[in-house]
Amino acid sequence: MAIAKTDVVIVGVGAAGGILAAELAKSGMKVIGLERGPRLKTADFEPHDELRYFQRQDLRPDPKRQPVTWRPNDKATAHPLASLNYGNQAGGGTVHYGTLSWRMHEDDFRVRSKTVERYGASAIPQDSSLTDWPVSYAEIEPFYDKAEYELGVSGKAGNLQGRKIDGGNVFEAARSREYPLPPLLMDQSGTLFDEATRKLGLHPFSSPRAIVSTTYNGRPGCTYCGFCQAFGCHVGAKSSILVTKLPEADATGNFTLVTGAMVHRVNTDTSGKVTGVSYYGPGGNDETIEAELVILTTFIYDNVRLLMLSKSDKHPNGLANSSGELGRHLMAHMMPNVFVTFDDRYVNNFMGPSAQKHTIDDFNADNFDHGGLGFIRGAQISIGTPNLEGGPIAASTVAPPPGVPRWGAGYRDFFSHFYARHGAMVGQTENLPYPDQMIDLDPHVRDAWSLPAPRLTYDFRRPNEMKRIEFVQAKMEEIGRAMGSPHVWRTPLPPGIPGAHHEGGTRMGGDPKTSVVNRYGQSWDNPNLFVIGSSTFPTMGAGFNPTLTIQALAYLSADAIVNRYKKSPGALL
Amino acid sequence: MSKPHDKPDDTRRAFLVGAAVVATGAGLATEARAQDHTPHMAAPAAAQPMGPTEGHGAFFNDDDAATMAAFTERLWPAAPGKPGATEAGVLNYIDLALAGAYADQQDFYRRGLTQLDAYCKSAHGKPFAALDAAMQDDVIRALEQGKATGFVWPTAQAFFNTVRTHTMEGMFADPVYGGNRDFAGWRQVSFPGAQPVFTAADMQSREAFTRAPIVGLQSRADNTRRG
Repeated sequence: MAIAKTDVVIVGVGAAGGILAAELAKSGMKVIGLERGPRLKTADFEPHDELRYFQRQDLRPDPKRQPVTWRPNDKATAHPLASLNYGNQAGGGTVHYGTLSWRMHEDDFRVRSKTVERYGASAIPQDSSLTDWPVSYAEIEPFYDKAEYELGVSGKAGNLQGRKIDGGNVFEAARSREYPLPPLLMDQSGTLFDEATRKLGLHPFSSPRAIVSTTYNGRPGCTYCGFCQAFGCHVGAKSSILVTKLPEADATGNFTLVTGAMVHRVNTDTSGKVTGVSYYGPGGNDETIEAELVILTTFIYDNVRLLMLSKSDKHPNGLANSSGELGRHLMAHMMPNVFVTFDDRYVNNFMGPSAQKHTIDDFNADNFDHGGLGFIRGAQISIGTPNLEGGPIAASTVAPPPGVPRWGAGYRDFFSHFYARHGAMVGQTENLPYPDQMIDLDPHVRDAWSLPAPRLTYDFRRPNEMKRIEFVQAKMEEIGRAMGSPHVWRTPLPPGIPGAHHEGGTRMGGDPKTSVVNRYGQSWDNPNLFVIGSSTFPTMGAGFNPTLTIQALAYLSADAIVNRYKKSPGALL
Repeated sequence: MSKPHDKPDDTRRAFLVGAAVVATGAGLATEARAQDHTPHMAAPAAAQPMGPTEGHGAFFNDDDAATMAAFTERLWPAAPGKPGATEAGVLNYIDLALAGAYADQQDFYRRGLTQLDAYCKSAHGKPFAALDAAMQDDVIRALEQGKATGFVWPTAQAFFNTVRTHTMEGMFADPVYGGNRDFAGWRQVSFPGAQPVFTAADMQSREAFTRAPIVGLQSRADNTRRG
């Protein structure tokens, strides 16, 4: 067992870890990044193969080696999930993601106060732990801006310093400047959605995406091949951490990336102080790194699991868990779908960046009056592709409309008509935080390293969420009819299982008694331990994909570490 | 909804099945593209249809291959101009997958097929492969609805769902995996494969995408051979 020493060790070099690695290394700190998977290159992503990447999930964790179990409540037995939707290589989820890059609305950061102000405290479900964020939009705006410009996000402003602009998202919070790149080209399904929603008095716009629409920082513009969500980009137009921040970190000479490293413990000394981490290398060798600063930037399951596995005499309930909040408030977006088909035209929605192409924000967050609706919060409604990916294997998983069988001549004729003539809407809708939706260690299931699997206890089927899903599906059906489709149908949601964009588990807050980390992701209990990523989100913010907010928080934390912590290590509040 | 699967263009498609042979190799692509239907969406006549259980040997024994060939053909049956699972090589795809990437599902299939034949014999007096098509459809419906008796593990529904999923994979995965023979699945649904580029005009077209070639993992070799 070798012991290496460094200033900073970063566990998980993805959306957040890649940014911290580059920013801290640029400031002169010696940084080691530990990554469970390999480091792939743009050339590795050609050619595209739907079976390998979408269906068999080659860029995501193998659920047989790295199981995650789920149960709907604490009375039920947990079983391993069949597929896992997060990254498993350097660059993390930014390698395979659909690139949606949203800023949260201004009021999403003070969601509890604003909800109470508008509807009264009784509007919030009694069992929800809905809360304000310990950071405001004004404080995070410069870091959103930095992320958009450094990484490369394409879009159109809808609120430039308070001036509303048609064609952008008029519900967005004021931004200090325009997007660095013009919006991506629209496909035909986007055009149909755009026309229909305008007819209904709504405000459609091209979804902001971390794909460069023209040459940017030496990378070529998007070729509209359609292989985005689930795939790596074969030209490097997707602004993944692989092609943005990792080269920056390499150039400093202060950054070392170790791949094939499965971190199994954050080490502490007898006084309780964090001293570094231990990991299993690719050959099963047990290695230790001593570091002044430990930053956890893995997916939420592993952030939580690692802290739980790192319990000691001084930290009997797990590291960074004096509040008892570690693992609680797990949230995920529900993804109800409505499909449309046309008889008189092809739509060919396998073209162009997949996932959520064109969006309305009118029914998201608190952008509409919820008076009398019986629920709070909303959904991002977008047109895109089934399962956020455009190939025929993904489309074959779509439940056909009522009356059409799932197999046989009837299905064959339906599917061969449907595939190139359909549009797919998704109403990505927010899950309120609930303390009993949680992550802990499975007592029975272990992974390939013999570590206990993360166990999820979660069920979105609560009154607030179910009423909202019904509302969102009805809105999408209305849009589908306005698109002129003769065939509009909704598909059933899967039972209870967490959907996309998992958040929570190491909640940030303003009070050490009720949160795991402060606004900088710094542990209240251990000032030289940071946890950064969507695990710190106290609420989902909105029906918005979390990556840009994760990245803005990473920049905010990097700024605080470089400009304040480095000079005077200690609590940042 | 009424009939989502009306097919107004079967006649034209039948004509193009013949036309495509010329268009793919003899420089008539431009002329063929002027038609509103794509030459590469029609199956090349050079393709030899596969025999019902041709394309196994990596995993399935002959009896299981016959059952799987019949089962998958009922899930995606052939019609004029529309190759079914057999012709597309779905059996070959599943056979290779079970000897490779899905080796952990071998026992699932063995037990599933044993239970299937036991059910067919008890309910209809014959193994699945010996039943007529209408009877096979009844059996598959009983699996899908969980009404087929005698299944312990896998359950009837789990077995149906897995065979359906793998049949779709065999129809629509790249031909290098052993199915989707001559892009039979992709041609039927008007998917042009992994095209590296689409233009702004492509994305706004109301017509099927027609620019040759269909791009597969080994498409260059494939198109040369077919030419």
